[in-house]
Amino acid sequence: MGGAGEWLRTRARNATRIAYWEVTKNAGGVDRRTLAIASLALVGLGALAPLAVSHGVALDKGIYRVGVTEEDPYYEPTFFDSTFRIQEPSSAAVRADQQEVLVRGTQVREYARTQKGRAAVAELRSTVDSYNDRLMRAEDNQTAAYPVVVNLTYVEQDAVQVVAPQGRTTIDTSQGDGEGSGGDGDGDGSDGGGAGDGGGDGDGGGDGSGSSDGTGGDGDGSGDGSGSSDGTGGDGDGTSGDGTGGDGASGTPEPPGDADSENVGGSSFTARLTGGSVSGAPSAISPPFPFRSLVLAFVFVLPLNFIIQAYGSTVLSERINRRGELLLVAPVSRGDIIVGKTLPYFGAALGAATLITIALGGSHVSVLAVVPIAGLFLSATFLGAMFARSFKELTFVTVTITVSLTSYAFVPAIFTDVTPIALISPLTLVVRDLQGQAVGAGQFAFSTLPPTLTALVLFGLGAGLYREEDMFTQRPIPLKVLDALAGRIKGKRSVGLLSAVLLPFVLVAELLVIALLFALGEASIPFILVAVAIIEEVAKSLHVYAGYVHARFDDRLRTALLLGAFSGLGFFVGEKLALVAQLVDLPELPAGRAGLSSQAALNTGLPLWLVVAGLLLAPLALHVVTASISAVGARRGRRAYAVALCTAVVVHLAYNLAVVSVYV
Amino acid sequence: MIAARNLRKEYGDFVAVEGSTFEVSEGEVFGIIGPNGAGKTTTLKMVAGLVEPTAGEVSVAGYGAGETEMRKVLGFLPEESPLYEEMTPLSYLNFFADLYDVPGGVADRRIHDTLDRLDLEHRERPLGDMSKGMKRKVAIARSLINDPEVLVYDEPGSGLDPLTTNYIIEFTRELGEQGKTIVFSAHNLYHVESICDRVAIMNEGAVVAKGDLGELRAAHGETKYHVYTTVEVPDSARENGRYHRVVESMDAVDETREAAQAAGGEVVDIRTDESSLEEVFLNVAESQSPSGGR
Repeated sequence: MGGAGEWLRTRARNATRIAYWEVTKNAGGVDRRTLAIASLALVGLGALAPLAVSHGVALDKGIYRVGVTEEDPYYEPTFFDSTFRIQEPSSAAVRADQQEVLVRGTQVREYARTQKGRAAVAELRSTVDSYNDRLMRAEDNQTAAYPVVVNLTYVEQDAVQVVAPQGRTTIDTSQGDGEGSGGDGDGDGSDGGGAGDGGGDGDGGGDGSGSSDGTGGDGDGSGDGSGSSDGTGGDGDGTSGDGTGGDGASGTPEPPGDADSENVGGSSFTARLTGGSVSGAPSAISPPFPFRSLVLAFVFVLPLNFIIQAYGSTVLSERINRRGELLLVAPVSRGDIIVGKTLPYFGAALGAATLITIALGGSHVSVLAVVPIAGLFLSATFLGAMFARSFKELTFVTVTITVSLTSYAFVPAIFTDVTPIALISPLTLVVRDLQGQAVGAGQFAFSTLPPTLTALVLFGLGAGLYREEDMFTQRPIPLKVLDALAGRIKGKRSVGLLSAVLLPFVLVAELLVIALLFALGEASIPFILVAVAIIEEVAKSLHVYAGYVHARFDDRLRTALLLGAFSGLGFFVGEKLALVAQLVDLPELPAGRAGLSSQAALNTGLPLWLVVAGLLLAPLALHVVTASISAVGARRGRRAYAVALCTAVVVHLAYNLAVVSVYV
Repeated sequence: MIAARNLRKEYGDFVAVEGSTFEVSEGEVFGIIGPNGAGKTTTLKMVAGLVEPTAGEVSVAGYGAGETEMRKVLGFLPEESPLYEEMTPLSYLNFFADLYDVPGGVADRRIHDTLDRLDLEHRERPLGDMSKGMKRKVAIARSLINDPEVLVYDEPGSGLDPLTTNYIIEFTRELGEQGKTIVFSAHNLYHVESICDRVAIMNEGAVVAKGDLGELRAAHGETKYHVYTTVEVPDSARENGRYHRVVESMDAVDETREAAQAAGGEVVDIRTDESSLEEVFLNVAESQSPSGGR
């Protein structure tokens, strides 16, 4: 223990010294100014983010000019909506296109007969709706304000549907402990028409929630529905359903002669974007666009893109003109050097995340969730900087990393509230945390383990190149990739270990493919199967090929088959660890099932021994066979390896298709 | 102090060093010379633990090359002076002193003493603003920051003007006189000859000759005798009222003496002219070439 403790103390001391040097070596140089600018940018970002999240971005300030007097009931709604600029009412101004809408009393008297004029009227209608909603929410008697309560649940398209008589389709959304059956309304949307019957029958004292399906026509229908929110039953009868909401405080302005009732963005748009509370007719309620998630995810991922620029630059600087050579002969390990050089940037990433978290009112979960993302960004940059031969190449590398890892971290997090597949990104945890949603341990592990392990693998590969013989050579990037892999091969068995170690990298790549393609639904499965086969076969064979290139193995067929067996076995063992995917709902998605097919054989009704065989022996055989095919090709050079790899991919693809056809 | 046995280094298909074996005793100054691409730098880097040998082994002060303890007793000066140019000499040397666990007070004293000896004045100026010679002095100071027992210097005077080169070679000689064990390579054979106790000659990755200068001359050099007589003898030329004959053995000197006496004269002076290291090196190189004589 004493030896291990001393070893750890030495590592920590050396890494700290190098980290301190990394921070201070540029003191007095231009980088201090850059640091100041970056700090200001961060502070600005931290200050703007909450505003952006809470208010959106007011790009449309004052774009509509409305003529309205203080005595008119519409004055107040327009006064509080920055979209409008209030003017004295003037017909001449409307005709001269200097005023979009002219209001008198509760009527829109005139409006400009232009696209903008019509948009202004629609916006005015939305604004008044929102204003009325606010007034309703402020009412003491909420039952009077909202006599009908409608709960909406978004369900998948293939959910159980009930075909109602008369051709009406109702999505069963009953919930709660009551037995109230929702009433249904029906409006045909024709002008002034529509017949609706609302309300429902409550049964007992439970809460009844009704589903109302009414698409209101426009016009001045006097729709009247009374629902039951307390299970006391009720019935409603609406004639001439009006989807836009009955008799509100101020009514809803309608342009004379304009039957268009489309939604045009307005003040309620922000509420819809952010998934906030929305009131109004069912037709006015849209599925929430994840604007809030988008902003939150962006705020967290942005600083990382700046930090990796500086980090990549400092790593490459060690390699330019052999500057890092003398550190390599100092009494510190290369691990000390790498950790020491990385620590300041890792700290900066976490510092930025902490500041943003505090500014947005998040918890430690947000900061912890950023750890693997920061590690992934930095490790990829480190490896890229070890590959790059010049700052020009480094620029290409960092841009590639920015695009690919931002896609991985940022895009899924946008859909935090939409699909469980968003959990492949740790940023989703951040968004959840900031939105006040709970994050389970399983979800945390699922989101953070793959990127954490991938980061460690990338750092490991980069560390393999952090030595005199590789750091200062100007070899092309593909050869450096092979160098990095070959540097980890010490014998035949290490091939299997490397296959297992590369698994997190494989998992992240596959999850990224799933994330990019899941929107296609079932149609994405063929693409995913092909991508998965390619990713896995490359991961099982590239290091074997690297070993042959570096003359680590003899070229006997027996050796190649042995290498294939080790690689396949190692990959199989690593793959089983990926069962962590079962912790979340990912396998419930068709895309998830396809991507993680070997784990998808549960609940099939097959005998247990067959399931076990399917889960264990079949994938093991697959990986050993395909890895052996690639290894046999790898021993004969690049061209033979390419052919063998393609063959292995085809075999793997055939296997995947068979599995999907059986289990999915 | 240093023992290298059967060192071999391969870079892919290229063999940079093959079967190099040599020893350096404590306090000895050992030179490695050879043409470009002979494997000198790779050999020195293997000794310093920077490059891992493909085969063979190196030990320095009883430690394996590359071990942390070995690094603590070694000072390495590469052929180039790769410095962190945004740092000043003082911040740069203090950083390395910290890495070598040199206590603060000792480090300050050592840094200023060394820079005084190297006559480097601008100690707070960024290294990027310094001349090549000044940077080289800082690099040398860094190699001494841990007061190492063993110094491995690769071309210490490389790329510098003659004055600075001579200054640095003299400084290296002083280090040798202080008891440091030094292994160094140089293209200027005069410098090697002037400060080295023993020399290894490398060619095409292998040590082809080694020993002190006497041994190398004996094996690969020539000794010429300039015999001056009062009378003309065979193969002599008149020079300042005397006759001058150059022979390559003592037997020939005796023959010349006898010839002079037979002609009624005598030998008035004999001077010995030994091969320089450069001539030895050229002889070795010539013998190693495909069309070489020996």
